[in-house]
Amino acid sequence: MKTITIDPITRLEGHGKITIFLNEQGDVENAYLQIPELRGFEKFSEGRRAEDMPQITSRICGVCPVAHHFAATKALDAAFHVDPPANAKKLRELLYCGYIIYDHILHFYFLGGPDFVVGPEAPAAKRNILGVIEKTGVDVAKDVIKHRAYGQRITAILGGKATHPVCGLPGGVSKGLSKDEVKEIKDMVASCNTFAKFTLNLFDDIVLKNKAYVDMIRSDPYILKTYNMGLVDKHNKVNFYDGLIRVTDQEGNQLEKFEGKDYTKHIAERVEEWSYMKYPYLKSIGWQGLSDGKKSGIYRVGPLGRLNASDGMATPQAEKEYKRMFDTLGGKPVNSTLAFHWARLIELLYATERAKELIEDADITSTHIRNPVGTPGEGIGVVEAARGTLIHHYHLDKNGLIVKANMIVATTNNAGAITMSVRDAAKGVIKKGQVNDGLLNKVEMAFRAYDPCFGCATHTLPGGLPMTVNIYNHQKKLYRTFSQP
Amino acid sequence: MKTIVLGIGNPILQDDGVGLHVIDALRQRMNNPMVTIETASTGGMNLLDMIRGYEKVILIDAVKQNDSKPGEVKRFLLSDFHTVHSSNPHDVSLSEALHLAKQLGEKHLPSKIILIGITVNNIYEFGEHLSSEVASAVPTAVALVLEELKNT
Repeated sequence: MKTITIDPITRLEGHGKITIFLNEQGDVENAYLQIPELRGFEKFSEGRRAEDMPQITSRICGVCPVAHHFAATKALDAAFHVDPPANAKKLRELLYCGYIIYDHILHFYFLGGPDFVVGPEAPAAKRNILGVIEKTGVDVAKDVIKHRAYGQRITAILGGKATHPVCGLPGGVSKGLSKDEVKEIKDMVASCNTFAKFTLNLFDDIVLKNKAYVDMIRSDPYILKTYNMGLVDKHNKVNFYDGLIRVTDQEGNQLEKFEGKDYTKHIAERVEEWSYMKYPYLKSIGWQGLSDGKKSGIYRVGPLGRLNASDGMATPQAEKEYKRMFDTLGGKPVNSTLAFHWARLIELLYATERAKELIEDADITSTHIRNPVGTPGEGIGVVEAARGTLIHHYHLDKNGLIVKANMIVATTNNAGAITMSVRDAAKGVIKKGQVNDGLLNKVEMAFRAYDPCFGCATHTLPGGLPMTVNIYNHQKKLYRTFSQP
Repeated sequence: MKTIVLGIGNPILQDDGVGLHVIDALRQRMNNPMVTIETASTGGMNLLDMIRGYEKVILIDAVKQNDSKPGEVKRFLLSDFHTVHSSNPHDVSLSEALHLAKQLGEKHLPSKIILIGITVNNIYEFGEHLSSEVASAVPTAVALVLEELKNT
């Protein structure tokens, strides 16, 4: 019998770590980003009252509580066989727009944007919101803070509570809107729309008019030709809250389109012996290891995945920007990882326009916001979290208690693609054992574009997500270590 | 001095939620209308919104330190922490958020921020209960907060 021993350093665990393996020539053989996995969710959920799941799951992640709240609520609609009233769906989607507004603003100005606004070569200490202020001025920063707070305020009004909403119930929502609240939201949404347009202009001025940045966006280490996935409405336009899951191929053609409830027929999860991470892939294509191209079932989700997987945006201003992005970057699909940043801003604009449509809807103050539930069973809920497709799946017993729960979160959907992007970025900066300057920056830029969430002990002090890159030689001996506080 | 005691933590990640457990215990021990007691399961920018307008802030949170055993209680000042990143890759650290607010000319920022940190053990597995070492540190942390409040 053949025994396979796994070398401890090839089995990855821990967090905030990137491990790079070199071959005999000193070039990159493989590179992995290690994301800590939270364990025991299924066991934790067993026996709980199903209606508690929207509250419980919104605590899973400090980054996307709203997305978990509504994936859970929609799974409960299905599990209790109830279709919410039209206005409950509108209120949920409006709240969702508020979440996309604050989440995308935060990412662009605080996290991903600094790489461009301050510059990829700038020292890490400058590549943050403070560096952005230095470059753009205090007035822009005040607008950033104001509109991020508006997004939060919209979710607080509709959700009953800031950050962690408490409004979602099977069959509807617990809270409607008053005339005063409608007025307040209308004003905030109008201001957010102006700010979204301003931000796209800023992106034009700082990124698109700078040839070096455009070259970097188009450069090989940041190109990945995977399938793309996202929720679309009946016209194949991007939708965050509802619709069918659509997958397009490397030419932009539709591969498949299916209801969320059928996800297990289309998506499988690969477990590799060297990692605790699961890598989802398309069943119809199959698993070919961590590779891109038509034969590999790996796909991308999130802003760029969604725009690639759709035929456009459902609102006029965003649709115009959608066309402009694809025209500028050479048609559909766009395979440049760094284009995630641009796609994110187009989605921000869409969220403000969609919020305007919803808040101006004549029936938005209707008090018919909940339908009675039926008998409990099995339910699956799918939404687009800011960072990609999120799936919740529950089995309930006859008393409405959870028997089994499963989730596929956005960052897991992107796991294969993120790992490949990190590897390719590392290949670009390590040649024959020589590590070029800017290793940390370049590698960090590759995964930051996806806006991943690394598990959710969100605030444990000292609050550091120290980045460590360990490079091992072909004998699996530690060769060099780079870290950033 | 207008004061807020803010317990931070994730209620379903075992020891990560210790700040919330300390607040529960504290509420049974004190009833001072001058002191606001709150909990939060969030980071940088949202915390900034919560502490704006207070002069003194006492934060209670889980601390992960390589050289400490679980269940140790320590007092820190915010300036003891130097970090570029937040522990959450989608947010800024509280220090960064405060720095930003100062840069923007925000006038109602706390003059004193104290952290009561409890070193923790298990924060990667779902659960509502604290490990025994961390649970036994809760009364110590409560006493430290009460002591801190005497000076306000």
